[in-house]
Amino acid sequence: MKRRAHTFLVGLWTWLAAAGVAGAEQRFPPPDFESGYQLPVTQTPAPRAEWLQYFDVLVLLIALGLACHLILRKRSRAGVVGLSLFSLLYFGFYREGCICAIGSVQNVALALFDRSYALPVTVLVFCLVPIVFSLVVGRAFCAAVCPHGALQDLVLLKPVKVPAWLEHALGVLPYLYLGAGVMFAATGSAFLICRYDPFVPLFRLSGSVLMLTTGAAFVVLGMFVGRPYCRFVCPYGALLRLGALVARWRVRVTPDFCTQCQLCEHSCPFGAMREPTAPAANPAAQSADRRRLGWLLLLLPVLIAAGAWLGGKLSVPLSRLDPNVALAEKFLDPRKAAPLPGVQTPQSLALGRAEDNPKELLAAAAAARQKFAAASWLFGGWVGLVIGVKLIGLSLRVARTDFEPDRGACFGCARCFSFCPNERVRLGLQPAPANLPAPAAVAATAASVPPAKPA
Amino acid sequence: MPAAARTTSPASAASTAVLHRALVNVVVMASLFCVIVGSAFLIRYWRAKAEDPLKSPQAIALKDRLRNEPRNEQLKQQIRELDLALRRQYFRHLAFSHTGGWLLVGGLAVLILSGRQAARLRAQPPLPALKTDAEKRAARTAALARWAVAGVALATGAGFLALSLSAKSTLPDRPQDLAKSLAKLSGEGGPDLADLPKPAEFRANWPRFLGPDGNACVTNFTLPTEINLTNGTGVAWKTAVPLLGFGSPIVWSNQVFLSGATMTNRAVFCFDAATGALVWQRPVTNVPGSPAQPLEIPDSTGYAAPTMATDGRRVFAWFGNGDLAAFTLAGAPVWAKSLGVPKNMYGHATSLACWQGRLIVQFDQGEPEEGKSRLYALDSASGRVLWQKSRPVGASWATPIVADAAGKPQIITLGGKWVIAYAAKDGTELWRFQGLNGEVTPSPIFAAGLVFVISPSDQLFAIRPDGFGDVTKTHQAWASDENVPDITSPVSDGELVFTAASSGLATCFDTKDGKKLWEQDLESEINASPVLAAGRLIVITKKGTLIVAAAAREFKLIAKAELRENVLASPALVANHLFVRTTKSLICLGAKAGTLEVKR
Repeated sequence: MKRRAHTFLVGLWTWLAAAGVAGAEQRFPPPDFESGYQLPVTQTPAPRAEWLQYFDVLVLLIALGLACHLILRKRSRAGVVGLSLFSLLYFGFYREGCICAIGSVQNVALALFDRSYALPVTVLVFCLVPIVFSLVVGRAFCAAVCPHGALQDLVLLKPVKVPAWLEHALGVLPYLYLGAGVMFAATGSAFLICRYDPFVPLFRLSGSVLMLTTGAAFVVLGMFVGRPYCRFVCPYGALLRLGALVARWRVRVTPDFCTQCQLCEHSCPFGAMREPTAPAANPAAQSADRRRLGWLLLLLPVLIAAGAWLGGKLSVPLSRLDPNVALAEKFLDPRKAAPLPGVQTPQSLALGRAEDNPKELLAAAAAARQKFAAASWLFGGWVGLVIGVKLIGLSLRVARTDFEPDRGACFGCARCFSFCPNERVRLGLQPAPANLPAPAAVAATAASVPPAKPA
Repeated sequence: MPAAARTTSPASAASTAVLHRALVNVVVMASLFCVIVGSAFLIRYWRAKAEDPLKSPQAIALKDRLRNEPRNEQLKQQIRELDLALRRQYFRHLAFSHTGGWLLVGGLAVLILSGRQAARLRAQPPLPALKTDAEKRAARTAALARWAVAGVALATGAGFLALSLSAKSTLPDRPQDLAKSLAKLSGEGGPDLADLPKPAEFRANWPRFLGPDGNACVTNFTLPTEINLTNGTGVAWKTAVPLLGFGSPIVWSNQVFLSGATMTNRAVFCFDAATGALVWQRPVTNVPGSPAQPLEIPDSTGYAAPTMATDGRRVFAWFGNGDLAAFTLAGAPVWAKSLGVPKNMYGHATSLACWQGRLIVQFDQGEPEEGKSRLYALDSASGRVLWQKSRPVGASWATPIVADAAGKPQIITLGGKWVIAYAAKDGTELWRFQGLNGEVTPSPIFAAGLVFVISPSDQLFAIRPDGFGDVTKTHQAWASDENVPDITSPVSDGELVFTAASSGLATCFDTKDGKKLWEQDLESEINASPVLAAGRLIVITKKGTLIVAAAAREFKLIAKAELRENVLASPALVANHLFVRTTKSLICLGAKAGTLEVKR
């Protein structure tokens, strides 16, 4: 039996290695230049052998597992920083931001709506695994595996507290961005999230001036505002936030009981700590809250309908991001410049190709426009839904007895642990007061707590 | 826990202060370093834009100069050297950027590390005040947040509305309206005709192969009584043509246009019709879609066999490699494109035609079953395709004509075994006639209400152009199989049809019934199509003998003259001047300089 298993494993390894080599070979090998001229790499990052792509998946899985261990078991900020540094170097500067879980959402969306698109298994794994982890242990991916988050976390110098009301308002933006990214990907028009990713140009040390400047601006902003991209832009973070809301295990500041010292609230640079609140004692106030909640529940379908109606108006401008639509519009523009002899631009070459077969181009553009007629309507509805749900969420009263991190907002950076007096006792950094239980007992209860209940 | 909270003793505080000062200094230096590197980055970036090998003003200026001096080898070398220098500079810039990027990353890392350490040393341990009104604050925050979310919703809605205002698009919303767009694009309204010359102006010039309507016949023309190349009698001027080409000259106003090409060079030439001086020449290079590798084309056809055409505002040249270029009469490039490399074993030779702002391009190639042949109508001002029709023929060499026949403008084309007529406006096929054989080279003509077509070395057909569908059995007026040419086109004054076979045999037919009236062996090989000038039949043999005979029911030789150079192109007749392209020169026969006056 053992021999069979061994033979199977050796065979599997040989097959994977062979497949990797085959995948790495170029279909049309370049000519040999006698002058010693080296063909420049025209793809960024350069094509990668298949087994190395699986290696990336392996690194992701190990990093995620390690992140969970460091956050939930070891409760080690130093470990999280070390892993963040590794992720920044590996997934960021070495892999140049690709493969990337953030952008992989678009690949999955495209594969769902376009059967001709072959979704690479590695991309699917990169998309799903962090989401699955978030459902179980919260945002472990954001904590120390995502290079974007790691970069922002490591450059944080002097955090400024963003007012909670503003945090809530800006918190809806990632969901709108997610909707837009999925819409453009599903229509096969553009990978918006990748195109406007501010950090990938930094990892590659090249890119358009606009995106490099935007990336630099986010880095500078990140020195004073904790993880601005993760909190107010990142569409994948929005998904993980939803997953983390139902996570079985999650970060808990204190290993035992909360002393209500507020130090953890002070320590969190992301405004993720929630203070204890008692259920409303005044029935009159509750009645007003319920009335508001009722109105907002009624408003939700109105918002969705209004959003859908407004979104429907956007099908024409949004469809311009589709290359076929953009080219067809230029092609049909009576004022377009005639092609001239001389050095050709990609635009003039594209127009030249359009001239060869205008019917095909216009048919493709019309098909894309049709897709957008439905997609923009859905996108508008999504915007209405996000706003409505957020307003409803803000009208729910949540009762807490202890200081605890917001399940969705907590990145699991492990900063708060060392601020908690009980944790310091557990680590032996300060003596336990007489009325505190023994450190061993504290450690045993540090894993999980039941979720807070809405009032 | 902040480090400051752990430091208690005075000695320790002093050392912390020193360390803090050092760290602050490091922060300042790292910041300065980042600013300097970042600035260098930006400066280098803006400078690199000017050094872009494709956008360098110096390189563009030199390349523009090369258009006017295509044979200037020194200039070419200068461009090569500049290009190499620019590319080196560009790659240096890339290397600089890469190094600079890493320096910036390093500087930033030092800045962050030292900044964090410095901040930790001076951080005050938090001492949060006791808060008792958590519920109130939570309610207030929630209320504020709801308003803020509403604000975001309003801003998003306003953004959506603003974006929807830019919803105007040239692309129709409904797929069923695409046909209308395409029809509009294909010129249902038609190109702008206001700017185009009047028909009389076309008739007074020689705007295409074999004259204004493709039937090389002019009624008001006086030939010089004596032509002698040796002493210049009857010769207005003679000038060398810089590049070889078998295309015939075209004339507009006081300008004569020719194209010429070799395997690697293609150019258009404009000569002063009065003096023969070269007014301008323009190379045709970097045409979008042009084949990267030079083509092999037989010498007998060459790379510039198609005759140019003009719509009176622009001139158009088509080359053996498929490059199609438009210039203004003053030589400014208007547009250029490639319709694809012609698949033609003898080389491409079909000439262009113009009609009401449309450039008619008959692009027959390959074998019939390949379905590669097309008839295009391009907007002559922009080069965009107004319409195109697939043709059931293989490669052919005949030039289409646009004739007002049976009350409608028809494009009459030959190719394969078919004569096919299309509506000039939208390319709708009107009728087709089956009867051609072999490699169709002679072009059709329209005269006396009939279309005359030649099946090479086979038959001369007269077809009534008022039918629809396949008119093979119904619209043939007559046919003759006597002395049928294989290369040259017929010519007719409406009463008689003349042909000149490459063997040298000239023949006259009656247009009414096709009866042969006379034949005459001119005893010399003929490649150029004959022309008619006010009752005179003019034939130029391949060896350059110009023969003038009476265009009458009986053959009568009137004059002969030697041009002393080989002639393969057909002559152009404008304002009592006859323009002949030899294999080396362009010759203008007629009165001397200053007397050429084109009627408008």
